[in-house]
Amino acid sequence: MSEQPFKVSVPDADLDLLHQKLDLVRFPDELEEAGWEYGTPLADVKRLVAHWKDGFDWRKAEAEINELPQFTRDIEVDGFGALNIHYIHQKSTVENAVPLLFVHGWPGHFLEARKIIPLLTSASPEHPSFHVVALSLPGFGFSEGPKKKDFSIKQYPEVANKLMLALGYDEYVTQGGDWGFIISKAMAHMYGHKHVKAWHTNCPVGQPPSPSKNPFRFLLFMVTPWSAEERAGIMRTQAFRKEGSGYMQLQSTRPQTLGYNLADSPAGLLAWIYEKLVTWTDNYPWTDDEVLTWISVYWFSRDGPAASLRIYKELLKLGPEVMASGAQYSTVPLGLSYFPKELFCLPRAWSQSIGNVVHESVHEHGGHFAAFERPDDLANDVRAMFGKGGPAYGVVPGKNGYA
Amino acid sequence: MSDEQPFILSVADADIDLLNKKLQLVRWPDELQGADWDYGSPLTDIQRLVARWKDGYDWRKVEAEINELPQFTRDIKVDGFGALNIHYVHQKSTVKNAIPLLFLHGWPGSFLEVRKVLPILTEASADHPSFHVVAPSLPGFGPSEGQHKPEFDGSKYAEVVNTLMLTLGYTEYVVQGGDWGSFLGRKLAAQYGSTSVKAWHTNYPNVQQPPSLLRFPSLYLAHLFTPYTASEKAGLERTKWFLSTSRAYFQEQATKPQTIGYTFADSPVALLAWIYEKLVQWTDGYPWTDDEVLTWISVYWFSRAGPAASVRIYYETVTTGEYHTLPWSPVPCGLSYFPKELVVAPRAWARTIGNVVFESAHESGGHFAAHEKPVELVADVRDMFRKGGPAFGVVGGRTGYD
Repeated sequence: MSEQPFKVSVPDADLDLLHQKLDLVRFPDELEEAGWEYGTPLADVKRLVAHWKDGFDWRKAEAEINELPQFTRDIEVDGFGALNIHYIHQKSTVENAVPLLFVHGWPGHFLEARKIIPLLTSASPEHPSFHVVALSLPGFGFSEGPKKKDFSIKQYPEVANKLMLALGYDEYVTQGGDWGFIISKAMAHMYGHKHVKAWHTNCPVGQPPSPSKNPFRFLLFMVTPWSAEERAGIMRTQAFRKEGSGYMQLQSTRPQTLGYNLADSPAGLLAWIYEKLVTWTDNYPWTDDEVLTWISVYWFSRDGPAASLRIYKELLKLGPEVMASGAQYSTVPLGLSYFPKELFCLPRAWSQSIGNVVHESVHEHGGHFAAFERPDDLANDVRAMFGKGGPAYGVVPGKNGYA
Repeated sequence: MSDEQPFILSVADADIDLLNKKLQLVRWPDELQGADWDYGSPLTDIQRLVARWKDGYDWRKVEAEINELPQFTRDIKVDGFGALNIHYVHQKSTVKNAIPLLFLHGWPGSFLEVRKVLPILTEASADHPSFHVVAPSLPGFGPSEGQHKPEFDGSKYAEVVNTLMLTLGYTEYVVQGGDWGSFLGRKLAAQYGSTSVKAWHTNYPNVQQPPSLLRFPSLYLAHLFTPYTASEKAGLERTKWFLSTSRAYFQEQATKPQTIGYTFADSPVALLAWIYEKLVQWTDGYPWTDDEVLTWISVYWFSRAGPAASVRIYYETVTTGEYHTLPWSPVPCGLSYFPKELVVAPRAWARTIGNVVFESAHESGGHFAAHEKPVELVADVRDMFRKGGPAFGVVGGRTGYD
């Protein structure tokens, strides 16, 4: 089936069920002065649930989402049949704009691109413009998810690449964070040069230099003391692994068990995701409506919130070697943006192992959801990478981003 | 109120109504084809259990059966935390000099784990020792009040149960436990070994590393020169399975107990799926009936402090570092090895847990030994404390025989 225009339209019955459940929420207690130490604070969850029941207007939020040009189309995936994929597709008025695919992660979704789309598609002689495609990954948002096991490091890139080709973008660039980083990296490996001409990420996760692969850099690494910034970044990374990665272990080993929690309890889903929205961002001033819109996309997602967890198991069960081999180093040009409150804040020198780094940009503010928290910063970085005089200018033949 | 009050479990009608309303509104996740147990609790199992919970499972009947156990509550003061109202089962043997035994459950267990072993432990006979049994609900579990402030760590849980025994007049006693009951047994032996705790037995020798040369030189040497038996090798495989694929619940509960707590408090299905997974994967082919499962879950659903409170023990003991640095104690220790336990350490490793004077290995059985293998577990405990046994007479004046 070819492209169909799409509008989010949650059935009344689903809205009713949500409200019936919200009326029956049973809250846990909380230890005195717990703050954020034990997880999402009770006062926050109670306030958000109260607003969700009585104040948050989903139909209004839905109408605003539907101002974005959305579509669905079937994408055939080897061994999995056709999946109906949902995406935003916003063209620039600049005909030769650079086709750019935005890939979200978890607990993100296609709406993470909503602030950056007007910036990237806008026309100006001062900067390049982009045609933007922001898909819902299979099993997220309004995309159908796979029904069989082992939809993994090859399949997510396959869907994304086939979508771009189906839209007539034979050559394009990608931007992503979280799983968007892993998927973009795999895409650069699988389709680099032929289709993927360059990629950009705000979530660079590199490896330390290895003595066999880069002996000189390894030596430098061994003799150069950490800067204060690097030390802080490593400690942040370690703290994440020690205290903040329980969700990742669960989702990569028992996504079905956790899935019951997230499918059946709106308060539970809210607490689960809100914890990340707050702890993974750099003091982003979330409004309650923003949070509830975000959570609602998960609550009302086509396959339900449990489906979104499976990416962790399917990719991480492969083990680090297979994951890495599915996303090997590619010579395709790579741009990096560093935000201080990202989860993995590894020394910048390590990023050289990710790919062919041609552009780097360091920021003073911002966290994991960069496109949502710091859209201007991210857009500027992407523009600088692909603009006239930039290291990836004209990387897509015939589509340099300018009129 | 610090005096003992007899306790009858009696869940409020309103609470049962709320559960039923929620069960009517369950929203299910989907499931991958052929998933079976690979991704977690299977959908067919959970749907079947919920159908029974809605229609057929009779909580009031179950409650009445639970109330055949002699239950009590009393306030127990804890340094820095005020008084907590603690629930416990207390069954004396007809043998006057029976050995006082503190039976400690874990997570996702409860005081109900004592049900099957209680009649056997208290039974009188010339051929084996008898026990007076006290089986509390740990703070935050079952009908016991939970702590209200942070930093209620393992030493506090130990303080509660020790104070309970002293208040009941058992100035010296022995401990039996698995899961958190094993951790607490070890903790009690260290904290109160010179005063009230005279011996401890566990069915969960949770030792995850081999003996070090410095701390346990003879065990180290024995370990170096003795090849693992077939069952020890199988045990290491089981341990590897647990630690590398099945411990995420622990990590979550030890870091974000409040976050996961919202799902337990609000969704009976979530609580069911979460706990059922352990009931099946941690046991050795135990033939759970649906009603048994639903009773275990209901104890959590209807618990006094709510199900979220029960997982704080993970956070507090791990954050203090207690969990990984339990001290050795000279108090006599007994071990029972069950092959489907979660950590099945080779003997040389397990013997570092304490002053091991008794060991017994079994061909079958898993994590919930008192529930799966009550006869075998009690046989082990009896052998440890019987006339001629390695811990005979540890409690002054109470040999277990009249």
